[in-house]
Amino acid sequence: MRLKELIQKVLFIEILKGMALTLSRLFTRPVTRQYPEEKKQALPGFRGLHALARRPDGTARCVGCGLCAAICPSECIHVYTTEGPDHQKIVERYEIEVLRCVYCALCVEACPFQAIALTEHYEYANYSRDDFYMTKEKLLENWDKYMAGKKGEEYFKRFWHPLENDFREYEGQPIFDPERYKRRKGKIRDIRGEWLIYNGNGRRQ
Amino acid sequence: MSNITMRELKEDIRTGLKTKELVLSMGPQHPSTHGVLRLVLELDGETVVKCTPYVGYLHRGTEKLCEHRTYLNALPLSDRLDYIVSMANNVGYVLAVERLFGIEAPPRAKYIRTIVSEMARLSGHLLWIATHALDIGAMTVFLYSFREREWLLDLFEHLCGARLTTSYPRIGGVRNDVTEEFLDSLYEFTEEFPRRIEEYETLIDQNRIWLQRTKGIGVISAEEAINWGLTGPVLRGSGVPYDVRKFAPYDAYPWVDFEVPVGKNGDVYDRYKVRMQEMRQSNRIIKQCIERMPKGPVMAPDAPKFTLPPKEKVMSEMESLIHQFVLITKGPIAAPEGEIYSAIEAPKGELGFYIVSDGTGRPYRLRLRSPSFVHASVLPRLCEGHLVADVIANIGTIDIVLGECDR
Repeated sequence: MRLKELIQKVLFIEILKGMALTLSRLFTRPVTRQYPEEKKQALPGFRGLHALARRPDGTARCVGCGLCAAICPSECIHVYTTEGPDHQKIVERYEIEVLRCVYCALCVEACPFQAIALTEHYEYANYSRDDFYMTKEKLLENWDKYMAGKKGEEYFKRFWHPLENDFREYEGQPIFDPERYKRRKGKIRDIRGEWLIYNGNGRRQ
Repeated sequence: MSNITMRELKEDIRTGLKTKELVLSMGPQHPSTHGVLRLVLELDGETVVKCTPYVGYLHRGTEKLCEHRTYLNALPLSDRLDYIVSMANNVGYVLAVERLFGIEAPPRAKYIRTIVSEMARLSGHLLWIATHALDIGAMTVFLYSFREREWLLDLFEHLCGARLTTSYPRIGGVRNDVTEEFLDSLYEFTEEFPRRIEEYETLIDQNRIWLQRTKGIGVISAEEAINWGLTGPVLRGSGVPYDVRKFAPYDAYPWVDFEVPVGKNGDVYDRYKVRMQEMRQSNRIIKQCIERMPKGPVMAPDAPKFTLPPKEKVMSEMESLIHQFVLITKGPIAAPEGEIYSAIEAPKGELGFYIVSDGTGRPYRLRLRSPSFVHASVLPRLCEGHLVADVIANIGTIDIVLGECDR
């Protein structure tokens, strides 16, 4: 044992092993990403920039109940309502201070009308603070930009919480299945169709 | 210096130069203090004579903020305690509230929570080995461990839509069910991960510089470690097999088997070894949980006074809609009066929540027992009498996160 240690010490065995590992990485794909050029698409259900959902007729789904403002931990949602001519509630202003938001998505969970959503858009750096003060118009615009069409419907179907299924057992619930795993091993893709797997050679594509 | 008179100078030259201790303020912007820790070091040459930690630069008043929030509303605050393993904090908070209310999550939710808190442990330890090795001078490990951490964070993103501030568990269960992709990908991770740990160990485990920087540094005996109130890997490095997961099992921990690795000498190297072994054990736990996870609900079905009703019902039933409004604006209906202390084994140590409830929807008082705060207090004991370079190794080895320390 003593001799072995001595030999290891004299011949720099452990350093050489480490070097071998490091040098072998020269011939593999890089794991890093060249960010501004090579962007990362956020996964579905990502909690990014806010949007207000539209009804099929183009008006906002929001009715101004104020639950989102009540649950918001950073108190960044402001809802102002007035009374309309037929004594209905009109959402006069709906404003979100994006810079104060913590993206917990409790507003999405609280909303009883599926009116507010967090989109997958995450790059919205800007030059002035005013650009981060989202008015109702801006929020509806966000919906058109990032959530319009099928995506918006999907969003609420998949990510509105809690789901009915969460409270009861049901058949199609995913559990681990060794057979399925064996079939899919090494080629598990996420919902956006990109590899969800990294290996020693970096991102597989 | 300028007010030394000529006579004093002559006196000095005659009797030999007088030396004074140098006071060095290390931090709060020092990159190796892992946040905003400030240490005032009194140095005699290169030896630390006195070390005083100053904390509070990241104080946000979390405990006070919780007092005027409903129980659900305070959940995102727990993300920001130990912000690199927020999933574990979430689980700890939710568990404390559940114990206060006397409700229990269904088995599937328990398994999911165990999986995510072990994933958090892995990601926390991976970040620890990356930065700790970087501080000491082994720079290569950094990207190796970030590669695996990225995989875990991607899975978090897939699961709950956020990589770091997860806010995923809920009182009475978890927010949403796991997907097939999540289970399969995580299983592949658990099969792959032991090989990756070996890679890190190839790089540093026997490296002579690493050994010299870590062996015999920051030694603390078992008895002393207990007296200082240390928990987690720092305590286990000294040979005390204390682990909340074994002593007061929560969630799915009683149903899986794992070992609690302990060290012997209580030095930096032993704590490093303990954490590396812990990663292997976490890996085992995740694997078992995935294999054994049953079908079933992920939210407690019999606690409508504490959990939000399903969205489908809110949109169709009046009663559920009323429930939704009351739960969100006023907090849980009929929360019991009383107080409770509930602790979990967070990656850094024992993370405890002490909640006093006065029967309203908000906690009357919420006190946090954060491991990082306790561990920061042991720094003078570890550093005094040693070299200034070992201060860095000691900060790294106790693995503090100032978000949790200052709260």
